[in-house]
Amino acid sequence: MKRDPLVKLAGVHIARSTFLVGAACAAMGLLAPAAMAQPKPIRIGMPTAMQLQVGRDTQDAARMAIEDINAKGGVLGRKLELVVADETENPETGISAIKKLTADEKVDVLIGGYTSGVTLAQLPHISAAKTIYLNVGSASPATNAKVKTDYDNYKYIFRVGPINAAHQAREMTGFISGFVKGELGLGKVAIVGENAKWVQDLVPLLKKGATEAGADIRTVEFFDAQTSDFSPLFSKVKESGAQYLVVILSHASSDIFAKQWADARFPMPYGGIDVKSMDGDFCDRIGAKSVGAIAGNFAVRAPLTAKTIPFFDEFRKRTNRSPVYTAFGSYDAVYIYADAVKRANSTDPNAVIKELEKTDHVGVPGTIQFDDTHDVKPGSTGNKGPSLLFAQWRDGCKREVVYPKAVKTADFAYPSWIKK
Amino acid sequence: MLEILIVGAVSSAIYAMLAVGFTLIFGVARVLNLAHGSFYALGAYGAYFFTAHLKWPLLPAALAAIVVVALFGVFVERVLVRPMRSSQLAVLMITLAVALVVEQAMFLTFGSEYRNVPAFVDAKFHIGGVDVAGARLLALGVGAVVIGALWLFIQHTRLGSAILAISQDPQAAQYMGIPSDRIFSVVMALSAALAALAGILAGPFLTVQPTMWLLPIVKAFAIVVVGGLGSIPGSILAALMLGYAETIVGYTISTSWTEIVSVAATLLMLVFRPAGIFGRRAAF
Repeated sequence: MKRDPLVKLAGVHIARSTFLVGAACAAMGLLAPAAMAQPKPIRIGMPTAMQLQVGRDTQDAARMAIEDINAKGGVLGRKLELVVADETENPETGISAIKKLTADEKVDVLIGGYTSGVTLAQLPHISAAKTIYLNVGSASPATNAKVKTDYDNYKYIFRVGPINAAHQAREMTGFISGFVKGELGLGKVAIVGENAKWVQDLVPLLKKGATEAGADIRTVEFFDAQTSDFSPLFSKVKESGAQYLVVILSHASSDIFAKQWADARFPMPYGGIDVKSMDGDFCDRIGAKSVGAIAGNFAVRAPLTAKTIPFFDEFRKRTNRSPVYTAFGSYDAVYIYADAVKRANSTDPNAVIKELEKTDHVGVPGTIQFDDTHDVKPGSTGNKGPSLLFAQWRDGCKREVVYPKAVKTADFAYPSWIKK
Repeated sequence: MLEILIVGAVSSAIYAMLAVGFTLIFGVARVLNLAHGSFYALGAYGAYFFTAHLKWPLLPAALAAIVVVALFGVFVERVLVRPMRSSQLAVLMITLAVALVVEQAMFLTFGSEYRNVPAFVDAKFHIGGVDVAGARLLALGVGAVVIGALWLFIQHTRLGSAILAISQDPQAAQYMGIPSDRIFSVVMALSAALAALAGILAGPFLTVQPTMWLLPIVKAFAIVVVGGLGSIPGSILAALMLGYAETIVGYTISTSWTEIVSVAATLLMLVFRPAGIFGRRAAF
């Protein structure tokens, strides 16, 4: 019998075959963890106002998209992972949220946002962290202005939704000229808006556009977001001789405004941009006092794209809520980022930004494309992008789209106490 | 003009209900109760809970909410405030903590969404060419009646006399055999019940959400500083002044400026007359 040659190891002679088997096992043992370990996940940081419905919907919609993408194997073989930080509605807390996500959590991308004032305060910190930021909540055009003027430092900023305040003003102008003046025949208009950054950006544009379109703007009034009594405001609007009240409301005031409008049987219909009135439960929670009022929505459950109705149904199934606008943006933003990473074959921000700029994504409210300030292009530019859909609350707290004509589901109905 | 008169009166009535309770507990027990706005919020949330979740009719729901909040007020006074009453700073801290805990409890229980308290009266009234919501007129009427009743109670009942005696000289009142601890509990219950009633009456035309305690406490604070801490007539007068000042600013200048009125009034009063209009001594 042929003896196995011996190998001398650390002064001990062992059989060569034993040595080879042992060496192979040792090599496999060393290599196995590296070969079998999960690749590092791609981390999505989410700064949002966690205690508000807009914040909860931002998270839930992102989780929906992340679960779907991960179920199909993730992106470049890496799973997506969500890290949330509460930015509240306070700029200082918003800055802390960005610092926590970028410096401590070292996320690859930021998806979130709600209040423009907070987003604006966060911008220098996002730029310093060189992290891509997909805004899904705030509407001030100022958040994207620096992308054009200081591209190298602010190229990281994108807005997936909603369409910015300037575009909203244009669509609102269309609503006043085409619907209020055109369809309802009410040419005398009052504009009221709360004192918020995006409203201050929007109102002058709206006034100019509506005047050019032939509307007679009788009065423009701002009020504090803490206002609890709208009687003086209603009185001024009534005295102005206006026939229709255009509102720009966000944050806290919508509920009180609608209640006091209905309680006083204010002799004038109202409509416009009313952020809280986009909530699915708005009408029910204020005791149906908004019946007759119109609010612009960034999406409603209608076949706007192939994704709109399935998204609304799936979101309701998972959360038992109707989604608000930040949900559409958040859901689309996760897909848009994932697609850009796939195309770039990397998570390197510079490579991903180049791909994000080429985005042509069929999303929930429309096709998402970015302009040269990395801002979502609105549908009015002819690209099937997101648009404002003006829906009226009707009896039973149902919603009907009354404008634009192309997607109209019903004619406008005056509130019960107003005679046409 | 008539519109300013009516709208100002409604605001004043709500403010007076808030401020009278706030000043009462200070006048009697020397407790600066920062949880007073929470009683207002809990009143509104209580009415919402009993009507929306338990499906009770509004009147029993409102009464139940007032009783629950009054009992909560007694609990706060007996368990949290009483052991610390010797230190004004400790009382401030503990009542602020109560307010924050109540706010977070509302967040956790009901979420951040706005809630609705149904109105007792849904009709609109036309008075001298002015349209006024029924819920507002009711707030005005109930506010006036309740404050009037409180005044009569304090001036003409045995318990009221005891409250008055303690507010004038706590030590002498104790020597006369008035059980001060029991009186403090009664006053805290009254104070909490008044704030809860204000929340229930204002809920239908305002909104119900967890941070709703903050603005009322700011207003109540402004009113008692202007009126004089511990003075009920001072609070009623200051509530009327603030209610009308805000309304006049809203009508003649802009609604944007109304919220600065109370802050400016507090500041000016503290600088020029720290004791307030009817205060017996400087509050701070």
